[in-house]
Amino acid sequence: MKKKVIATLLTVAMTALVLAGCGSNKGSAPVSGDTQNVQEQAGGEESAADPAEDAADAADETSGEVTIKLFSSLPDRKNGQGLVEQMIIDEYMAANSNVTIEVEALDEEAYKTKFKAYAMDGMPDVVSIWGQPSFLDEVLDAGVLAELNEDDYAEYSFIAGSLDGFKKDDKLYGLPRNTDIMLFYYNQKMFADNGWEVPATYDDLMALCTDIQAAGFTPVAMDGGDGWPMACFLTDILVQVAGIDYADIVSNAVATGDFGAPEIQQATQILVDSANAGMFQVGYDSQDYGTTMNLFTNGQAAMYCMGSWDCSMALNEDIAPEIRENIRAFTMPVVSGGKGGANDIAAWNGGGYAVSANSQVKDEAVKFLNYMYQPDKLSKYGWENGVGLSAQDQTAYLTGSETELQKQVMDILKNATSISGTPINDCGPSAFKTAIENEIQGVSNGSTSVEDFLAAIGAACE
Amino acid sequence: MKKLYSNKPVIFSLVLPGILVFLFAVLAPICLSVYYGFTDYSGMGEAHLVGFDNYVKLVHDSAFGRSLLNSLFLAIGFICIQHPIAIIVAAVLDKLQGKAEGVFRCIYFIPNVISVAVIAYLWKFIYNPDFGLLNNVLSAFGYQGKINWLSQQNAIWSVLVVLIWHGFGWGMLIYYTGIKNIDPVLYEAASIDGAGWWTTFFRITLPLMKPVIQINVTMAIISALKQMETVYLLTNGGPNNSTQFAANYLYQQAFKAFKYGYGNAIGVVFIIICILATVTLNTIFRDKQKA
Repeated sequence: MKKKVIATLLTVAMTALVLAGCGSNKGSAPVSGDTQNVQEQAGGEESAADPAEDAADAADETSGEVTIKLFSSLPDRKNGQGLVEQMIIDEYMAANSNVTIEVEALDEEAYKTKFKAYAMDGMPDVVSIWGQPSFLDEVLDAGVLAELNEDDYAEYSFIAGSLDGFKKDDKLYGLPRNTDIMLFYYNQKMFADNGWEVPATYDDLMALCTDIQAAGFTPVAMDGGDGWPMACFLTDILVQVAGIDYADIVSNAVATGDFGAPEIQQATQILVDSANAGMFQVGYDSQDYGTTMNLFTNGQAAMYCMGSWDCSMALNEDIAPEIRENIRAFTMPVVSGGKGGANDIAAWNGGGYAVSANSQVKDEAVKFLNYMYQPDKLSKYGWENGVGLSAQDQTAYLTGSETELQKQVMDILKNATSISGTPINDCGPSAFKTAIENEIQGVSNGSTSVEDFLAAIGAACE
Repeated sequence: MKKLYSNKPVIFSLVLPGILVFLFAVLAPICLSVYYGFTDYSGMGEAHLVGFDNYVKLVHDSAFGRSLLNSLFLAIGFICIQHPIAIIVAAVLDKLQGKAEGVFRCIYFIPNVISVAVIAYLWKFIYNPDFGLLNNVLSAFGYQGKINWLSQQNAIWSVLVVLIWHGFGWGMLIYYTGIKNIDPVLYEAASIDGAGWWTTFFRITLPLMKPVIQINVTMAIISALKQMETVYLLTNGGPNNSTQFAANYLYQQAFKAFKYGYGNAIGVVFIIICILATVTLNTIFRDKQKA
């Protein structure tokens, strides 16, 4: 009898354990305080937006409490754009005491991976997005983003054309945050000390690189390990070679899978020749963003090729003052025989925000999104913190106390005669983006021929 | 108690959790992978059946071929470099005795207890051409150039060094345990017969370590096939796929290129290769044991 009791108890216990393991906590009542946790931390990733908590959120709504989950690609909450984003979040929560905003922030690569997982299993309410085909096409096809009313943004001073990348079939699904310009940052003092001058042509740039090498410095710090900065560099060259035909040439190549256009071949060859001539640091094709930027900010490299979002270097107190205060920028010099002029620049409206189509708190999420884009929020704070150019008109926020770098970049945009639009690696499907960012390492270091490179990226468009 | 263990409900209740875990955490994902491997699923939206298209593409995919070659290279590196050194070090440690034995055992095992992320970044800095330790050491000896340790030509060798260094402790510890299990009487008898260290090693230690070597070699090959974390953090398969491995390539295709269906096809082929490798090794070792 005793053994039977033990046997029965064991069976019941085991079954209970199994059922408990397979069970869901959806029906459980929220523990006091759990839903109030604001899990924001500087510089790190945060709590996941768990769809299982939807029931708890709904309960919050009935009592006036709203929790918005924000999934951000800006993990550094103390500098640059992450700081600006956090400032607006804090203001919004202060102004709306019933609203809690939970932030989960990952760096770009990890962000894009988890974004996809969320797309399958329920998106957070507000998300970072990129208004480029390589990211947005599949996302919009899956219908995970809410449509926004474009008329609502008539007074938000968005720069003409900046919303285009965030539309599909004339419907708006997101809003752009930045205007990104591809730049050569340079150390003005190092240039002056060595008698170097900002190059007017690509030939001058090559000659300058030779002089810089001879002086024992790295000419241009290039993040070749990630692939995309070098693809942006190729875009920059292609803009100078093809001029205003850049967008048509690239979109035609992506549509047909044929990258044999003479302009693309010439631009790629210039990239290869530049790398062969030692324009970049030794090992550029395996070095990451941080390492590359450090080469420049430590004074080991005279120039650094990156987008205008890194203008915040001029205000970053982690960088030595003698370097930080001497950072200046110029755009890609003209290529001899190319159709591009000195004021035809590689620039685009990339990153931005959107609201999830299935958000349980969609109205509040859209309200928060609109709050972020009020002209005196993202634009103003971004400008004040030197994080580059907004996708909205910022002229009202000029104070006269901007850094020289900010003024220079503003002038570059103001004087631009044409703007390229989406960089080449983001013009096709994500498979194309992956392919070009891998293959560009091979072609630049000489292990793949230009012809094979162009054939490989063409094949990825199919 | 004996009756308790023969009670069917008890047996069922004890076995059920394991079976459920296997069904839902192993078998179901594998079945889903097989299904998605026949689709063009991007990871979002709808999946459409495309037959064997993904597998046909895979056959012609040079990056996947490269990743398998790299796995083979790594397995050979483990077997021919890491394991012979690990056996010798284990044998030397065994002879050290006293405190030194414990101290060195810990030192050799330290890399294993460090997080993979830390190791990857540590070696990134060591390999850095501008400020890395290796080039600085060479510079101290008068070498003027900058060696790019992670260039397309050198990267796979550099990755091999890191993986050998990182996994060395485990291999050494298993061999060390094997050596400790050898009856000391055999060594005493050999010593009385006048056998030296090398003779003892080759005639007693090595032959009696065969079962341990077989386990370690099998684990090394599986580990080479499964390689992902260190490579992802150290080189992410680059430059230009020169350090690509199957698991990393699968991840890139499924989660970066939005080719979830293709990624699953890679996963299915990957599982088949792992099973084949394990079965082949078991067969080889079983035949040798019988012989």
